[in-house]
Formats: sequence, C-alpha cells, structure tokens
Amino acid sequence: MELFTPEFGLVFWMFIAFGCLYFILAKYAWPFIIKSMEERAELIDKGVAYAQEAKSQLDNARAEADKVIAEARHQQAEILREAAKMRNQMVENAKGEAAAEAKKVSETALASIEHARKESEKQLRQEVGEIALQIAEKILRQDVSNDQAQRDLVDRYLNEVQTKN
Amino acid sequence: MKKAITAFIAVVILALIGLGYHSAAQGPKHELNPKETIFEHLGDAYGWEVPFNHHAHIPLPVIVKGQDGWHCFMSSRIADGATCEGFCISRSESYHGKVVQMLPDGSEYRPLDFSITKNVLGIFIAAVVVILLVMAMKRWYARNGLKAPRGAKGLLELIVEFVYGDTIRPILGKHAPRYAPYLLTVFFFILTMNLLGLIVIFPGGANLTGNIAVTMVLAVLTFLITAFSGTREYWKETFWPDVPMALKCPVPMMQIIEVLGMFTKPLALMIRLFANMMSGHMVVLVLVLLIFIFTNLFGVAVGAGTAIFSVAFTLFMLLLDTLVSFIQAYVFTILSTIFISMALVEPHHEAE
Repeated sequence: MELFTPEFGLVFWMFIAFGCLYFILAKYAWPFIIKSMEERAELIDKGVAYAQEAKSQLDNARAEADKVIAEARHQQAEILREAAKMRNQMVENAKGEAAAEAKKVSETALASIEHARKESEKQLRQEVGEIALQIAEKILRQDVSNDQAQRDLVDRYLNEVQTKN
Repeated sequence: MKKAITAFIAVVILALIGLGYHSAAQGPKHELNPKETIFEHLGDAYGWEVPFNHHAHIPLPVIVKGQDGWHCFMSSRIADGATCEGFCISRSESYHGKVVQMLPDGSEYRPLDFSITKNVLGIFIAAVVVILLVMAMKRWYARNGLKAPRGAKGLLELIVEFVYGDTIRPILGKHAPRYAPYLLTVFFFILTMNLLGLIVIFPGGANLTGNIAVTMVLAVLTFLITAFSGTREYWKETFWPDVPMALKCPVPMMQIIEVLGMFTKPLALMIRLFANMMSGHMVVLVLVLLIFIFTNLFGVAVGAGTAIFSVAFTLFMLLLDTLVSFIQAYVFTILSTIFISMALVEPHHEAE
C-alpha cells in the first residue's frame, strides 16, 4: 500500500520543481511561442488571401486586356475604313477639280482662238480692202484711196462676197 | 540476410541470458521474490541503479530532519543495511524501504524526509529536459522570426499547436492566453515524465507519473487554479444552484453534491494518471519477471522459450505505453482545461 500514500518529501520537491518550471516557461517561453505561432498563422492566412486576390485580379486583368485589345482592333478597322473613304473622296475631289480646270483652260483657249480669228479676219478684210482699192485705183488711175465713199463701196462689196461665201 | 542476422542476434542474446542466469544460479542462492521486485521498481529509492548493473547504485543525497535536527549524507552510506548517523533503511512493515532513525529504545522514528531520491532526481531531469526543449523552440522564434521550425522543433510546434490551438483555445476562448502557460507546462512535463519512465536505464526508468505524490501535486494545482479563477456565477451555481427549492433549502443536497464534485474532479485526475502509468510499468515488469519465474520453476530451456514471448509482449506493451504517455498527458491537460473553463462560467440566465 505504500504506492498509494504520497511521500511528503516527493510532494515538496515536485512542487518546487514544477513551480520553477512553470515560472521559467511562463515568463520566458510560452507567451512568446504562442504569440509567434499566432502571428505566423495570421501571416500565412493573409498570404493566402493576398495570393487569391492577386490571382483573381490577374484573371480580371487578362480579361480586361483582351477587351482593350478587341476595342483597339475595332478602332483600327474603323480608322482604316475612314482613311480609305477619305482617300476616295480626295481622289474624287481632285478629279473634279482637274476636270474643271481643264475645262476652264480649254474655254480660255477657245475664246482666244476665236478672238484671234476675228482679229485676223478683220485684218484680212482690211488688207483685202486695201488691195482691192489699190487695184481699183490702178484701174481708174485715180487715187481713190482716201475717198470714204470708195471705201464704203468696197466694204459693201466685200460684205456681199463674204455673205455669198 | 537481414532476417538471418536478426535471428542470430536474438539467439545469442537468449543464450547469454540463459548462461547468465545459469551462472548466477550457481552462486549463492538468490531467492526470487516477484512481488518485492515489482514494488521495488515501481517505488522510490535512495540511489539510482547504474545501467546494466543491479547491484551498484548511483548515490544520491539523503536529507532528513530527525529528532536531533538536520542530517545530510549520501545514500551510499546507508546501502546494504548500513547505519549512518543513526539512520538506516527500514526493513519493518510500516516504514519498509524508507530512511528511519533508530531510537535508543530500539524503536524506529520516521524523520522529515527531504531526500533527493530517485524520483526527485527524475523530476529534476524531466524539468530540465522540458526547459531545454521549450527554450530551444523559443530561441528558434527569437532568431528566425516567423520562419517555420525545422526538424524536432517542428514536431514540438505540432504538439504545441495540437494542445493549444486545437484544445485550450477552443475551450477557454478569450481566457486562453492566461491559462495556456500552466496547461502547456503541465502537458509537456507529464509527457516528458511519462516518456522518461519508459526508458529503462539511468536518465529514465523512474516511475514518476506512476507515483501518486507527483500526480497529486499536479491535481492540487489544477484544483487551486480552478478554485481561484471561479467567477461569481460559478460559486453561485455551486452553493445556490438553479434547482427547485426542495433540493437545496432544508437539506443542502445539491450543495453537498456540488462541493463533492469540486473535489472528485481533481481526485479523478490524480488517480487516472497514476493508475494508467503505474499499471503500464507493472505489466512490463510482470512480463519480464515471467522469464525468471518460469526459469525457476522449469529450468533454463523453458525460461528461454518464455523470453521470446515475454520480450515480444514487453515490446508491444512499451509501444502501447508510449501511446498511453501521450494520451494521458493530453487527457490530464484537456480535463484541467475543461475544469478551468467550467469555473470561468458567465451568467447565462439573463437572456431568458
């Protein structure tokens, strides 16, 4: 039965030993260890949450990038189409302008030709008149050149000739 | 090849055991007393057996206060029935194995005994081991910050996390940091003492947690902490519980039950740990002693045959005791936690 009777000396030393152990560990070790472990658990939890958030953000970013790229392509196509349209329009405009210019130039040319023709006709008529008068003078041995009436006559004959022609 | 080597070693060991016993039996006849041997191993001793030599002992200081004041001497001076300064180890029925003072009239006087016995030294060794382990873990955190511990410290952290994170914190809630140092110290101290008790040679081998004085101190500490952290609600529920008046007024039935409960809880803690560890040691001792009992009765050959079974069963029992060491340390801690949490009860009738 000695097993079931606590020995006083052993109780005493056990109490001392446990007391020392408790005070050393409670003062220097346990609070620090528990704090460190909890801090680390928190850090890991935070890290996991951060990683998940980063991953979801990355996925979002990819989707967003795809969206931006698609939009850019769309814009690019639109710009190209617009540019083509503008080019066509410019070509059309240039063509129109060129045609108008050409027409103007040719009209001017025609006008000047007409003018020159009339001038030369007038000159020719004058010269022909002169020649005719000279001829007539020669025929009449008379100087009729300065006679206005002769001139008018010649003019009239010439007009007749011209209208006959 | 491996099997052959193992078998060869086993045969050699068995032969040596047989030869050793045979040669021992040739000498002066040594009476085998199983009961005494078992109780000698389970109990305390002045001096610690030197490994593999049952006759030599490591001397330990004996500190006693006899009728004529304090005395202090090494246990080697009272070994083998010697008397030193009037003290010797008693062989009488009432003080068997303890140091007693021989009075002039021939009677024995049991002095106040503060000797550093085998168990006391075992307790000191266990305490030092716990301090070294826990301080190593603390140093890791102090040096490496929040890096995860490697190796043995990782295992320690696993145990701390298991005891604190999965048991103490969920049960005690916001009070956990206040009681965790005590509970964790209790857990590691019990665990270390249990495991040291399973090592059969010098630094271990003392049946510490299988000694009722050790478990009594731990249980009393839990009781004191429970009593001193009791809230007003706890004491009200103890002395004026919420039950019909007939159960508590003329005859304080409930009060008697509650107060008895206050003492039976730590008592159960004390007995459970003590009985579990002691029975483990006892079974191992009996299994080993079976070899010698059978050799005594039927001769060396039968004893060697018994040895095979005994060693196998002893191995199994030691493995089981390793498991029990963990379980009992954990059970003591979790029950202490629950008792403390019961004392920290908050009023819960207001909502009704």
